[in-house]
Amino acid sequence: MKVEREEKEGIVVLRLEGKLMGGPDADVIHAAVKDAISEGKRHVLVDLGEVSWVNSTGLGILITNYSTLKKSEGSLKLVNVNKRIESILMVTKLNTVFETFPSESDALASFTD
Amino acid sequence: MTSNSRPQEIRLTIPSRLDYLGIINQAIGELGECFSLEEEIVDALAIAVIEAGTNAIQHGSTGEGDAQIDFRFEVAGDAIHVKVQDDGPGFNLVKIVEASEPDNLLRSRGRGIFLMRTFMDKVDFVFPPGGGTTVQLLKRRRSDDS
Repeated sequence: MKVEREEKEGIVVLRLEGKLMGGPDADVIHAAVKDAISEGKRHVLVDLGEVSWVNSTGLGILITNYSTLKKSEGSLKLVNVNKRIESILMVTKLNTVFETFPSESDALASFTD
Repeated sequence: MTSNSRPQEIRLTIPSRLDYLGIINQAIGELGECFSLEEEIVDALAIAVIEAGTNAIQHGSTGEGDAQIDFRFEVAGDAIHVKVQDDGPGFNLVKIVEASEPDNLLRSRGRGIFLMRTFMDKVDFVFPPGGGTTVQLLKRRRSDDS
């Protein structure tokens, strides 16, 4: 899994590429979120556009980082979620936890609402 | 396109490491092509089989050494049978927590078996006396009323 970080309108955007499935992925993503928090940036948008699939362990990574940001009064939202991942979020009811957006502009705008 | 009038078994064995599950995902895509499976069926199979593989790697073996996970796919008529077998110590099904319950939504673990059961028509766990776990998955190509 590759993770690229960008900042847009004060929001940290983490662009993930590959398969989100646990193992070393957890450390890479958690480190990026911790770095953002230590810089005072508490709102993170995770771009899943280049993530082909996610397993339950990958879901756990998203949840852990969501909780970490929540504890810092921040937020974690998702953008560009493919059909397969969307169906997993729906059946696990994690669509009630994660706000998801079809476009980055919509997602970024939501942080200022 | 492959004729599905006779059962045909496809068998793949991977080292017990998460990063090899991508090969299984690709193979399921190819299986879908060969047997003209609908996209929805292919996605459901991929989600469930990858979860079975993840479970086998994380709970069924140490993830070290030469441990391997065996995947067997059989398409027979409108049923797709998959067996995922490891040789680890197994796990306790009674201890599985329902992570989709409201109080458990923020648990980082405990969704694998739920996903298998949600996306498959039948899921069985077999714990042979000699050790290991075999997960047996069944997915039907069409719903009963189609």
